Amino acid sequence: MEALAISNYDNIFKRYDLVSEGSGQGIMATAKDADLQKIMECVIEGETDDILGLVDEALTKLDPMVIINDALIKGMNEVSRLWDEGTYYLPQVILASDAMLAGIELCEKKMGKSMEKKGIVVTHTAEGDIHDLGQKIVNALLRANGYEVIDLGKDVPVDTVVNAVKQYKPVMVTGTALMTTTMTAFEKISNRLSAAGLEIPFVCGGGAVSEEYVTGYKLGVFGKDASQAPGMAADAVNGGTWQELREKYNG
Amino acid sequence: MPKFEKMAYDSAEEMIFGTAKSPVQYGRDFVVGGGYVYPELVPHPRPGTEKSQKTLVKEYEKMVTDVLDRCVAIGIPGIQVELEHVYQMTKNPAWGGEIAAQVKRLMENYHRKYGLKSAIRATIADYRKPDEEKVWDSLALETMLEAFEASAAGGADNLSIETVGGKEITDYAIVRQDIRGVVFGIGVLGSLDMEYTWKKIVKIADKYGVTPGGDTNCAQANVAMFMAGGYQDRSVPHSFAALTRAVAAARSLVAYEQGAKGPTKDCGYEDVVTKAITGVPIAMEGKTSACAHSDLLGNLVMACCDLWSNEAVEYHDMFGGTTTAVFAEILGYDVALMNTAIELGKARDLQQMMVLSDKYRDHHGFILAPDNAYEIGKAIVANNGSYYARSRAAAMKAGELMLGDPLLRMSAFEKEALQSSMAQLEAMPENEQDFIDNCCEIYKKQVRGFEPKNYGL
Repeated sequence: MEALAISNYDNIFKRYDLVSEGSGQGIMATAKDADLQKIMECVIEGETDDILGLVDEALTKLDPMVIINDALIKGMNEVSRLWDEGTYYLPQVILASDAMLAGIELCEKKMGKSMEKKGIVVTHTAEGDIHDLGQKIVNALLRANGYEVIDLGKDVPVDTVVNAVKQYKPVMVTGTALMTTTMTAFEKISNRLSAAGLEIPFVCGGGAVSEEYVTGYKLGVFGKDASQAPGMAADAVNGGTWQELREKYNG
Repeated sequence: MPKFEKMAYDSAEEMIFGTAKSPVQYGRDFVVGGGYVYPELVPHPRPGTEKSQKTLVKEYEKMVTDVLDRCVAIGIPGIQVELEHVYQMTKNPAWGGEIAAQVKRLMENYHRKYGLKSAIRATIADYRKPDEEKVWDSLALETMLEAFEASAAGGADNLSIETVGGKEITDYAIVRQDIRGVVFGIGVLGSLDMEYTWKKIVKIADKYGVTPGGDTNCAQANVAMFMAGGYQDRSVPHSFAALTRAVAAARSLVAYEQGAKGPTKDCGYEDVVTKAITGVPIAMEGKTSACAHSDLLGNLVMACCDLWSNEAVEYHDMFGGTTTAVFAEILGYDVALMNTAIELGKARDLQQMMVLSDKYRDHHGFILAPDNAYEIGKAIVANNGSYYARSRAAAMKAGELMLGDPLLRMSAFEKEALQSSMAQLEAMPENEQDFIDNCCEIYKKQVRGFEPKNYGL
């Protein structure tokens, strides 16, 4: 049988992914000196293998906080910008975060103490749910943006989440679920936190989780995408209540 | 070890919807791949109904009754219903068993009363945590096997699963665009885990005289595909997700090497390759699964299907009835169109229209078009020395095909991502043990909880 052929696909589908291609500005950031520039480029390129040697060498000449602020964090900020403008994809952000955190760890060893974090966020995946990739992405993005993450992992019972909030006093707690039949644990957590007077934003998202469901219980703020997590945490650190976050991100 | 050495079909042109080389018969006069396509409806319970066995059984009873009523209302000749276990149905095997039994009772009534052909697939939830427990020696696995037994005893005709072996590595690799990790996680660890678990599943199926169905790489390749998302998403390159799918094709074969007969699981987008190699009937989903997730191959993926599915639809009211009834109707008319084409001798024309609608829309549809899927299948069987070799070969063939067809347009970023992965694939060792040793050393350091011994390594 003769094969059918189409010479023009324009009225069948349109490749919108190619419409805005190349409109980004590309890499723009520069560092103060050559050593810092190399480290910053490692972060921007996500070079986890090379960064340790470069940071080690720089630590013989420079203050660790200078390396952190003027190369590692600066590189990560540039990566965030490249992601925002559509030049980078998530893997480039995750690899950059890996590189930055490896560099920071070396600097912290040299300082003999951990650098001050912007705030604590407790994260978990709902009881009965083993699909925690969304949570892992949230963790990586929060850490890349300077937050301490208390990672409770997956299939986490309600009690464990409530106890962690009591113990660590985070600015925000997050919950991830793939299935609608596991997300029902979120409402129980919300009730328990409210009863204990722990009225912090409880950001829930993932898979089949919907805004309608999450905004149906107290503390609930719907997280549509993992990339929103650092912004939400920043708002919580600045005193944003769960009602204010819900107003800003939902509805 | 891999077993398939040749293709079941002589060419891609021979593959068509509704007919498989090895049809399967079960249930109430239900034949899959025997000349016609049937719908497979997957209902999903509303949140809150999972709180007890009683409420969940009641929910399934209502959902399935609506499906069967709609079949009778509009004249659908036959239907398969998938009981895709929510966690609670597997964790409490008796729940899944009772739901299967209740659905069987309903189906028998409709068969007796109207002659409606029907069958039940029970898909057990794999809730093992590969980074926290021994995947082959855990309470979770023990409970899952009990759930298979309870479902088979209750009335399931087809036993299926979405195994998660290697997911700890693949979750790490997908978000880092690490093709080596994908080949290791899906192609090696996933295959080893399937070999182990499917021996047990087939044994249970044989014990109860039911059909061992299939296994999809939903937990990994679908993660990559869904993260790649639509044209405006920037989570995972689409070209990389397509490579992941090709690796999944090599991995999902293991179920059939261990004795599974199909029809395969609906969300296994790689199943067109499975059909080309094994000849088993396949269940597919596309535009009709938009209720559960979006994809870029809604029509193309129907091209070789034997069951046509909706993935999962949560039970709610719509203007046209409940969601399960509405989706049964949508699937029913899609299937009626395919079967009309078969009766008119126009199946090949309709298939080509399905394919041309989406072949160049995105990378995933491109590699799963029957001609390209067939080529990937050939690469798999030609490299059957090890799970690793055939997984790597599948990815390389998919990459070659994508780079070799100018009609598949790519952004510079997508092309660079693909070329980078191809360079990594080419640089990988020829020998499986060398690859495994290398990966164990790397990922033991990088992935918390990864334990090679859990996979017999």
